[in-house]
Amino acid sequence: MTQEPEIETKDLSFYYAGNVHALKRINVDIGKNLVTAFIGPSGCGKTTLLRCFNRMHDLYPSNRYEGQIIFQGRNILESNLDLIRLRSSIGMVFQKPTPFPMTIHDNIAYGLKLKGLRKKAELSDRVEKALTDSALWGEVKDKLHESAYALSGGQQQRLCIARALAVEPEVLLFDEPTSALDPISTGKIEELISQLKDRVSIIIVTHNMQQAARVSDMTAFLYLGEIIEYGPTKKIFTNPDNKQTDDYITGRFG
Amino acid sequence: MTREQKRKIENIAALSLSSLAAAFGLFWLVFILGDVLVHGIGALTPELFLNDPAPPGIEGGGLRHAFLGQIMITFFATLIGVPVGVLGGTYLAEYARGTKLARVIGILADIMVSVPSIVIGTFIYALLVRPLGHFSGWAGSVALAVIMIPVVLRTTEDMLSLVPWTLREAAFALGAPHYKVIVQVVYRGAATGILTGVLLSIARVAGETAPLLFTSFNNNFFSTDMNGPMASLTVAVFQYAMGPFEEWHAQAWAASLIITLFILTVTIAGRAIVRWRYKS
Repeated sequence: MTQEPEIETKDLSFYYAGNVHALKRINVDIGKNLVTAFIGPSGCGKTTLLRCFNRMHDLYPSNRYEGQIIFQGRNILESNLDLIRLRSSIGMVFQKPTPFPMTIHDNIAYGLKLKGLRKKAELSDRVEKALTDSALWGEVKDKLHESAYALSGGQQQRLCIARALAVEPEVLLFDEPTSALDPISTGKIEELISQLKDRVSIIIVTHNMQQAARVSDMTAFLYLGEIIEYGPTKKIFTNPDNKQTDDYITGRFG
Repeated sequence: MTREQKRKIENIAALSLSSLAAAFGLFWLVFILGDVLVHGIGALTPELFLNDPAPPGIEGGGLRHAFLGQIMITFFATLIGVPVGVLGGTYLAEYARGTKLARVIGILADIMVSVPSIVIGTFIYALLVRPLGHFSGWAGSVALAVIMIPVVLRTTEDMLSLVPWTLREAAFALGAPHYKVIVQVVYRGAATGILTGVLLSIARVAGETAPLLFTSFNNNFFSTDMNGPMASLTVAVFQYAMGPFEEWHAQAWAASLIITLFILTVTIAGRAIVRWRYKS
């Protein structure tokens, strides 16, 4: 990688409550404005790794990190880090759509209001921009003040992407964003991810190997809490160095 | 007898016994409600709502003082009980979820729900009436609030627990601090459920007599002074039903009908909200 990485982990280990060793000395560089995919069988630690980047594990007691994650020149695992600022720089989209119980407009405006934006006109501009960027504006522009629950699952997921985009993060984390969606909605989200990488660095966890091959530039294969192989997606899927990676992507195990 | 025949007979026996038991229960329910309606409706006059009690033997006395007292005592009980209950339930569901302390408080709240209300009445008597030397509307409100708190607390906790955890994570992931996640996202998701719990708890205390006997006591005069003894419908029913006068009895029936209708309305409203919520 010629460029300086967006995120860099140094010997990152993670333990769930009860000393469950879920990640083992992970060293991975996440490239700027690239889509990086984490693949691997269930329980391999890919989602656990993803949730380290916005310190989501801190919501639950007795979870423990070791090592470092460097983002914007700083170790984000430091205990005095401002989590609120971190999470507005590193956004997240979840497996199931998670619209808030409020209107479409208020969903998008939520993160902006958290950042202190109050002016109505500015909020509407930013809401429109985020919805346009997530290819949802045309579908919802006439019902901005209706409940977000009235949208279809695929639209709800794009709403969640718009909500995360609205606060202009540097990184977006996707945790199996299409596993609850139909193929057409999935296609739209994949297209969106490919478009967004001009502006944000993206990390996506997916169970779907075709998806990883379609959308990502770099792929990491994880197994039992370790990164087995990490490299350009093309190489991982056509000519992996590691036998286990080859077995996994060809469907012989996992 | 074949096995099928035996099964059929057993089935008929079980069905008849359970239908009979249900009919027995329903009979008394309908009987009580019907009796209150029949006796109460005749005494429902404008004077009942507009006038204060008249001396025995003089026509035209009413229960205005008791209506007002009931409304004030219940209103202030709600004002005290609901915030404490909602905040307590929030603590259990959001901050102490899964801890030993939360389980202990939960069990204690369950015990509180089933404590006889007269015990709460005497407790407040010892706490707020004896030390101050007089009965008061405030003591009545506090007694009713103490009955409300565990009900509201448990419903709030249950309703907040029903809000999917992923919704909280989504709010946290946008950089929201915990209290904003609770107030702006989780409460919205649980609002109708909590409202239902509040309504049901009001219905629960509106019919209480025993805790008021020891606290707000009674007052034969119109009074808006929460620091003094205060009339309430339930205590008025108690007093009038035991009294020697025909008019008193009629007014006790009317007051019973009003209380019953009020509780029925609040309860039905609570259930309607739940049904409406799950439809949409």
